[in-house]
Amino acid sequence: MYEVKKLVKKFDKVKVLKEIDLDIKEGEKIVIIGPSGSGKSTLLRCLGRLEIPTSGKIYFNNKDITKINNTHEIGMVFQSFNLFENLTVLENITLAPIKTKLLSKQEAIKKAREYLKQIKLEDKENNYPADLSGGQKQRVAIIRALMTNPKVILFDEPTSALDREMIEEVLNLMEDVAKEGMTMIVVTHELNFASNFATKIIFMDEGKILESGSPKELFNNPKTERLKEFLKG
Amino acid sequence: MNFFNNIGDSFYKSFIYDDRYLYFLEGIKNTLIIAFFAVLIGIFLGMIISLIKDYNKEKNKLKILTKICDFYVYVIRGTPVLLQLMILYYVVFKTVDIPIVLVGVLTFGLNSAAYVSEIIRSGILSIGNGQKEAAKTLGLSYFQTMRYVIFPQVLQNMLPALGNEFITLLKDTSVAGYIGIVELLKASDIVSSRTYDYFFPLIVSALIYLFFTFLLVRFMRMLERKLNHVRS
Repeated sequence: MYEVKKLVKKFDKVKVLKEIDLDIKEGEKIVIIGPSGSGKSTLLRCLGRLEIPTSGKIYFNNKDITKINNTHEIGMVFQSFNLFENLTVLENITLAPIKTKLLSKQEAIKKAREYLKQIKLEDKENNYPADLSGGQKQRVAIIRALMTNPKVILFDEPTSALDREMIEEVLNLMEDVAKEGMTMIVVTHELNFASNFATKIIFMDEGKILESGSPKELFNNPKTERLKEFLKG
Repeated sequence: MNFFNNIGDSFYKSFIYDDRYLYFLEGIKNTLIIAFFAVLIGIFLGMIISLIKDYNKEKNKLKILTKICDFYVYVIRGTPVLLQLMILYYVVFKTVDIPIVLVGVLTFGLNSAAYVSEIIRSGILSIGNGQKEAAKTLGLSYFQTMRYVIFPQVLQNMLPALGNEFITLLKDTSVAGYIGIVELLKASDIVSSRTYDYFFPLIVSALIYLFFTFLLVRFMRMLERKLNHVRS
């Protein structure tokens, strides 16, 4: 699904990503971990077309990602939710599929209500994002991403802005989404979640991928000193 | 008694005699025409300028157009509106037969556009990139994002600043008298130059300006309240 080749990203003169190579197959659940400043969010944002690579290539289903125009195939969920503040919950979820003509208005509303029911927020469809708790916002953001039938969803620290008691509900929903077979790439600090959820874990530090493998391999037998330190910390 | 006689006399001279109130009506009419159409031009053109600049920032395209817009805003904000009015009237339209009020409309419209574009630009900045990015990953185009997500919020955020701009604009039209447009202040000037009595014409003009700015303030407040359901 994704082929990343020698990806370099610089901000001004700082090299945030240093020649990253990465292959991601359909259905995989990738969790990217690493200390802050390691470049994991930047990598994710490059995969989500929110950052333009300084050099190197990213292919998404064999197409150069910088040459794809508006696409709903790569969904994204953000740390700060980024719900549309001027729209109700229902409008938030249905805006994109309707305006991009993916679904008719009736279809979009029907599908949205099914999802809202699934996350038990059906009574909030006419509320504005400001009325919701952080956990509710993030769950709405996740089903908003699902509405456009993406091939992959990228999660950029989806629970980092949440209180303890709300993290669970978001992680549970992510697990539900994973069960449907969605390809997911998650940047997170929730290591327990990562070890149950991931098919593959990637450990990044200083703009490089230092280790990758199954949760067992990485958590039980870390090879690099950096990962050992990170897991202790 | 003498005092009241004088006042009555002064009032009579300023408004009734020779139908002088007609000057004031003409002045009010022209002031409102200039302010109203200038606001429309200002919003329309200001929106286009701010969109060009934002599109440039977002997509790194339209570079030359953006430079032109930057220069335009720089020049308009850096020179007095009276000077702009005079250049338009005595230079640009010197040989063109054009209604003088239209010169006023154009000057104040083009002037206001520069300020409105900056108000909108800061409104767009205040919303931040998060919602734009979310819209992009959902497959929405730049213009769909602007139309359905960003602009409705910008409008709400910028209403107070926009109201301020309209009030300034309404008052600034008073310099239009300089090139001979009979707006409100000019009307009062014409009358008092005949009667050598400044009291009533000036005070009444002031009250009329106050009345219209009062209406404007009320109108903007009403708009703010109407749009405010969004966030609370």
